[in-house]
Amino acid sequence: MEIVIVGNGPAGVAAAEAIRKSGLECSVTVVSKESEPFYSPCPLAEYVEGSVSRDSLFMRDGDFYRRSRIDLLAGCAAVSLDPSSRRIGVSRSGRIEHLSYDRLLVASGAATAFPPVSGLSGAPGVFTLKTLADADAILENVGGTERAVVIGSGFIGLEAVQALVRRGLKVTVVEAMGQVLPQMLDADFAARVQARLETFEVEVLLDSPVRRVTQGPNGVASVVAGDREIACQMVVCATGVRPDLSWLAGSGVAVDRGVIVNDRMETNLPNVYAAGDVIQAPDWAGRLDLLPNWPNAVASGRVAGASMAGESRKFTGLLPVNAVRIFGQPVSSFGVRGGEQVVAAGEGGAARKLFLEGGQIVGGQFLGDVSGSGVFLEMMRKRVDASFLDGTALSGRWSVAAMLREPPRVRSLAG
Amino acid sequence: MSESIFTFVERCVGCKSCEVACAVEHSRSKVLASAMRETPRPRPRVRVQPAMNYTFPSRCVHCEDPACVAACPTGAMTEDLATGTVRVNDDRCIGCWMCVTVCPFGAVTENPETGTAHKCDLCPERTARGEDPACVAACPTGALIYSTAERFADERRKITALSTVGVSTEAPGNVTLWRSLRGGYQR
Repeated sequence: MEIVIVGNGPAGVAAAEAIRKSGLECSVTVVSKESEPFYSPCPLAEYVEGSVSRDSLFMRDGDFYRRSRIDLLAGCAAVSLDPSSRRIGVSRSGRIEHLSYDRLLVASGAATAFPPVSGLSGAPGVFTLKTLADADAILENVGGTERAVVIGSGFIGLEAVQALVRRGLKVTVVEAMGQVLPQMLDADFAARVQARLETFEVEVLLDSPVRRVTQGPNGVASVVAGDREIACQMVVCATGVRPDLSWLAGSGVAVDRGVIVNDRMETNLPNVYAAGDVIQAPDWAGRLDLLPNWPNAVASGRVAGASMAGESRKFTGLLPVNAVRIFGQPVSSFGVRGGEQVVAAGEGGAARKLFLEGGQIVGGQFLGDVSGSGVFLEMMRKRVDASFLDGTALSGRWSVAAMLREPPRVRSLAG
Repeated sequence: MSESIFTFVERCVGCKSCEVACAVEHSRSKVLASAMRETPRPRPRVRVQPAMNYTFPSRCVHCEDPACVAACPTGAMTEDLATGTVRVNDDRCIGCWMCVTVCPFGAVTENPETGTAHKCDLCPERTARGEDPACVAACPTGALIYSTAERFADERRKITALSTVGVSTEAPGNVTLWRSLRGGYQR
């Protein structure tokens, strides 16, 4: 049995580990277009900032691939999939080779979704912050740079903003929508985050879609966004990510915005599975969704690995959850950003808000103090009646204990 | 089967001895009198919380297939596959709080002083010496025990059997009275 995994990120590695854990006798080949072993992209902003070392980005020790009997083909980009002959094409230093598989996992991730703007994608002085190579490129160019523009105020954008500010740059962030963190927070909390960014002298421009990026004799010269032209020497584009589906064209695998999978991470093609940022899968409520984040990548990768090894394990659904820090202040959110009933509380610099529909939690957001927020996420997933919640329940001391709605069973038996 | 901490909710009287013992065990001096004067002040990893007219010592339950480990993007949160113990490595933790956001028990919290995740570590130094974790050793009513899941289930069955024939293994009468006076969950 030959298993081929395209992608060496959290989903691919979680799947490979699940296959090895199952004890299935098979070869596992991981194809990665990047040259580094498995690393985490989440602390890349901290790496750029200088607070996290390059070494600690790597998630496994040097012996991991040998010990786990995983053949890592680094620097090989998958370019085609032919399910009829069960082969994939990979580009290895310019030459196309073919790899046969008995089972294939598509965990090729997502790439920065550049807005269709002239002078942006691939232009000199324009960076992204998705891969280690991106971060290294920023570090090579950050010296001597005074002004930077970050396009997009999602969590990657704001992490990039902080890293550059701490590197001593003057940073402007431009956002096409009317608030920062538009996928994470409602307008009220977003305004608080914006205020915090501004106290750290970050210029925030809302409702400012990028029109073009201009080049000068020494590289990038300015960004035109909304009705402003901002002079800068560096641009970081963080306008969200999109599954990289180009290499699957013509393969017959069902795609919409991502590769469509069921709760066992099976695609419509036999023996082809998918996991991680590339998938469009059932979320916690059973709706097909695209939710690229680290926990979803690991969880879907584990399920895919178990499925490929012939085990029966079901995915509990993608979780719409994220956390970010704004100059040290924690911010987290899950679910939707509004609801028919809002429970809110705040003390000191902290604020918390839950959104309810029909007595059940459908979303929540936490600013300054995120302790205990996971309980509400679990209440949402389990569809627990939350109509009894009020502001006091939103204190940081709230835990699962407070959900105990009946006396322990032993007492009722004692009568 | 490895050992972990289990809770008999009905035996907890909310004295918070576990909180104090936990903070002392995780202090530098490991002595109450000097631990109180340490900076940063030692923080407990167990919190006694109101639960209707009961109290509940809430802490990490060291889940099987832990959500915090899957969510940790730096490899700081790990599960010891041999014992099932979930621990955080402060050196790798960058304080992204993904673990806090996904913990269904609210048992991983932020430590503002270190900027890292804060949770029960099952007292590795004590258990290596063959002692119970600090909270278990300090609990005066036996609400917390350090045992295997099987032995805990046995004990639970025994209590249930006794209570069905009218033998109360619950807290003393004055505690039962106090609970009834608390009058349920404070909305």
